[in-house]
Amino acid sequence: MIRPAASGRLRIADQVTEPGRPLLRSVGLTKAFKTDGGVVHAVRGVDLQVRTGEFVAVMGPSGSGKSTLLHVLGGLEPASSGEIWLDGQRVDALSQAKWAILRRRHIGFVFQFFNLISSMSVADNVEVAALVGGASRRGARARREELLGELGLTAKAQASPAQLSGGEQQRVAVARALAHRPSLLLTDEPTGNLDSSNTAVVLRLLRRSHTGGLAILLVTHDARVASTADRVVNLFDGMIADDTVVRPAPLYPVGASGVLELRD
Amino acid sequence: MRAALRWIRADLRARPGQALAVACVVAGVVSALLLSATLFEGAANPWRALFAQTNGADVWLRLQPGTHTAPLARLDGVEQMAGHYQATAATIAVGRGSQTAPVQLWAMRPVPPAVGRPLVRQGRWLTAARPRGVVLEASFAQAVHASVGSAIAIDGLDGNSVSATVAGIASTSDQGLYPDQTPGLVWAMPGLVKAVEPVNQHTVEMVGLRLTNPADTGFVVQQAVTQLPGAVISVWTWSDVKRSVDGGNPLLGLLLAMFGLVALGGALLAIGNAAGGRVLVQVQDLAMLKTLGFTPRQVIGMVVAEHAALAVLGEAMGIAVARLVTALLMQHAAAGALAAVAPLEAGWVTAVAGGTGAAVLLATVLPAWRAGRVWPVAAVRPSVPGKRLSRLARAALLTHLPPAMVLGARAAFTRRLPAALTIAGVALPTVMITIGIGFWATLDNVQRDPAEIGLAAALTVRPGEFGQSRTLSIISADRQVAAAYPLATVSALLPGETSTITTLGAGTSARPYPFHVAQGRLYHAPGEAVASQGLLDAVHLRVGEYLRMPIGGTPVIFHVVGRIIEPEYDGQVLAYGTDTLAQAGAVTPPLSYGLVLRPGVAAAAAADYLLRVSGGRLDVTPAADPAADLGIVRPMLAAMFLVLALIGLTSLLTASAVGFRDHLRDVAALRAMGLTPAQVTVSLVARTAVLALIAAALGAAAGFGLSSRLINLGGQVYGIGAGLGSPPSAEATLVAAAVAVTAAAAVALIPARRAASTSVARMLDPQ
Repeated sequence: MIRPAASGRLRIADQVTEPGRPLLRSVGLTKAFKTDGGVVHAVRGVDLQVRTGEFVAVMGPSGSGKSTLLHVLGGLEPASSGEIWLDGQRVDALSQAKWAILRRRHIGFVFQFFNLISSMSVADNVEVAALVGGASRRGARARREELLGELGLTAKAQASPAQLSGGEQQRVAVARALAHRPSLLLTDEPTGNLDSSNTAVVLRLLRRSHTGGLAILLVTHDARVASTADRVVNLFDGMIADDTVVRPAPLYPVGASGVLELRD
Repeated sequence: MRAALRWIRADLRARPGQALAVACVVAGVVSALLLSATLFEGAANPWRALFAQTNGADVWLRLQPGTHTAPLARLDGVEQMAGHYQATAATIAVGRGSQTAPVQLWAMRPVPPAVGRPLVRQGRWLTAARPRGVVLEASFAQAVHASVGSAIAIDGLDGNSVSATVAGIASTSDQGLYPDQTPGLVWAMPGLVKAVEPVNQHTVEMVGLRLTNPADTGFVVQQAVTQLPGAVISVWTWSDVKRSVDGGNPLLGLLLAMFGLVALGGALLAIGNAAGGRVLVQVQDLAMLKTLGFTPRQVIGMVVAEHAALAVLGEAMGIAVARLVTALLMQHAAAGALAAVAPLEAGWVTAVAGGTGAAVLLATVLPAWRAGRVWPVAAVRPSVPGKRLSRLARAALLTHLPPAMVLGARAAFTRRLPAALTIAGVALPTVMITIGIGFWATLDNVQRDPAEIGLAAALTVRPGEFGQSRTLSIISADRQVAAAYPLATVSALLPGETSTITTLGAGTSARPYPFHVAQGRLYHAPGEAVASQGLLDAVHLRVGEYLRMPIGGTPVIFHVVGRIIEPEYDGQVLAYGTDTLAQAGAVTPPLSYGLVLRPGVAAAAAADYLLRVSGGRLDVTPAADPAADLGIVRPMLAAMFLVLALIGLTSLLTASAVGFRDHLRDVAALRAMGLTPAQVTVSLVARTAVLALIAAALGAAAGFGLSSRLINLGGQVYGIGAGLGSPPSAEATLVAAAVAVTAAAAVALIPARRAASTSVARMLDPQ
């Protein structure tokens, strides 16, 4: 069971940034693959923008290139052409090493198939992310205890991922993604492998971290999941077909003084 | 850094078995290589081992009687002193034969000395309880046919004759081998020496010095001469002894050297496969770490550091095991080639440790570097390399081969490089094993038919007291003797060289000694001769050319008509009919007779008979049996086979583990389409078995071709000459190949059965 903090808000991300400033921006982004059957253009000229503290969902049928878009925006693979700007810095041509350093400071990932490192315990999985982000050993441990406590997984801290259920594994994945306090969370079908109750739990988790100030880019093919976001972008055949605002993004700084309602 | 350490610790804890396996493979390879090097060194350079075991003295001084030797211990550079020992010259006669041999009789105490301690091989050392017991030096005892319990008569130079018994036989590094270095060495109690030579003026004092730096012999000798003016009679150093003892048994050294070299290659491949295979299994996790923010360099560094640590652990274990076994061998050394064991020099150990460490690093760096280069998206989108069915596979399916087998075989090659490395890792040990089988066959050949290396005559008879005619009549009357050939040994000076070689008058031109001719033919007329490879190389001669050499002062022209294989005499020998000497006008030395026995007659039995018939007055010597020295080779070969088999098995185990998960995904889909569990097992087993089959075939073929060629090559290098090698037996090679394939099948069977019994749904589940 996840217990909300007394103030009704889940303090997970403590980034204080300027209101509504573009955090992630892509201009004319394309990605093409060479396969046995020829060249496949997965992403064709996508101009996307995510502001600080904004929750954007990218929706589309399978094969629309949404996963590829997410991977390219997070530096998991290089773009074929176009520009990517992260917090005012151009990043599309960065080397693997520089992307890695960016990710450990600013970006967290949650995948559909959890992708926890099977040789490490739950606690180690979360702490490694914090350690690589620059935390000290004590700091990483404190962060891990805080996160796992808020996610109700303290009892399973020393278990191996194989011993956890799907829902528990995904919660650990979320904790791992937030351990280094990123400003942007990229997630690909986070509930794709979960049953309905676990889906609800994870979505609630995401919304809580979003209200803490975290920008989220969520990729899904499920319309109900997409509706939890502030803005929905429709992708079709590698191009943006639609971009609608579902609920307005926060316009004022979110910090200790801010008060927001918890929406379920 | 902290994050990297955290991952390494977690990885080692999660897969301790694999990590330990890598360390154990390294340990096994290191210890096996070190032990082989130790035995090789001991066999090829026996002096070093003997020196270590006897705590030998670097310098021996022979001093005038009555010299005050205490100052020698205080010389600059001297660590310890042995002696002084009273020594006197005498002659010894063994048994009732008239053969006397010159000896030096050394007075020693029952307590063996610290420096220059003789190593007792048979019997026991001197004791006060047996004042008439003496200990003979091993090579001398062999030359005079004395054994423990033999009665000997010691005659002093002044005519004092003392009877004694042989209490023991010992080896020493104080003096070279007899008869290379005369006189022979005999140790006795001081009382006995006094009885032989009561006059002190006729004894000398022997002092041995052990130096801090063995290279300082010249400097120390100079000081000794200065300190004791007029006292030093003669000096010899460890290098003189070494030169005499290290005659070397070329055949043994040759075999062991070649084995060690090629075994190193196979071992390194095995290590490479084990370490590299482990990295391949970690690739998925490494890509995930990169999504978390590990840079490629960090990932590579982490993996290399983890495996470097495992390698160091393995090397430490291997060196410790090798040291332990060497110490055990040294303590319980029996007589024979195994006795020549000494701890390896640091150079060997460093080379082996460095080589295996480099192998691990190389094997780890390459896949780690590839894992580092790949973009992190590989963590979420694992790309299993797979292509359409190749034409070969399609053809195989068409020929009604079981589809499970074809699929399994094809799956073996989804990853090209690991498949190639596995094949190499199994093929190399197979080559070695095949060559080893060839060596075994050669050894069997040599032992069964000593004529192959020129030892047709099992016994040599010297007339001794009888004349030539009486000796001949005894020999011809003996029904156990098939043929007798007159033998004469004459030294000759090599033209243009300043060294002498031994020439053999063997048989007559009409009835030549049955040498084993590798090239050309035997001599049939006076003036014709056969030569060994070493001699032909030394004088730059080919078969068919002429050679002019002074034999006992008379120049003789020989027509070299053939090349023989002769491992004695350092590979340089010329053989001809004894009548050639007479015809050329050279003096024929006293003849002895080489006896070829009837098949089935044991040399010892024939020798006993001759001694009995002649009343012990014929000098009958059995021919040196080179295969006796080589007795150590068979157990060594067997041990090598075991080590090589383990090396090959390691590569197979790695191949089975790597890519198992990839193949499993395909298998899941196929099972859903209707592949039975039995067919699943077959396909998974076929995956490993096909690699083993290819490797075994390649290895056996290469080994077959190389085996004879290697032995012949080595023979040429050592001057023995080509023609010694026999190819490995076909049956043994086939058995070896079959064992390899069966092992591969067995290795793959356990995980295969587990996969076959898992439900399809679970296999298809991506978790």
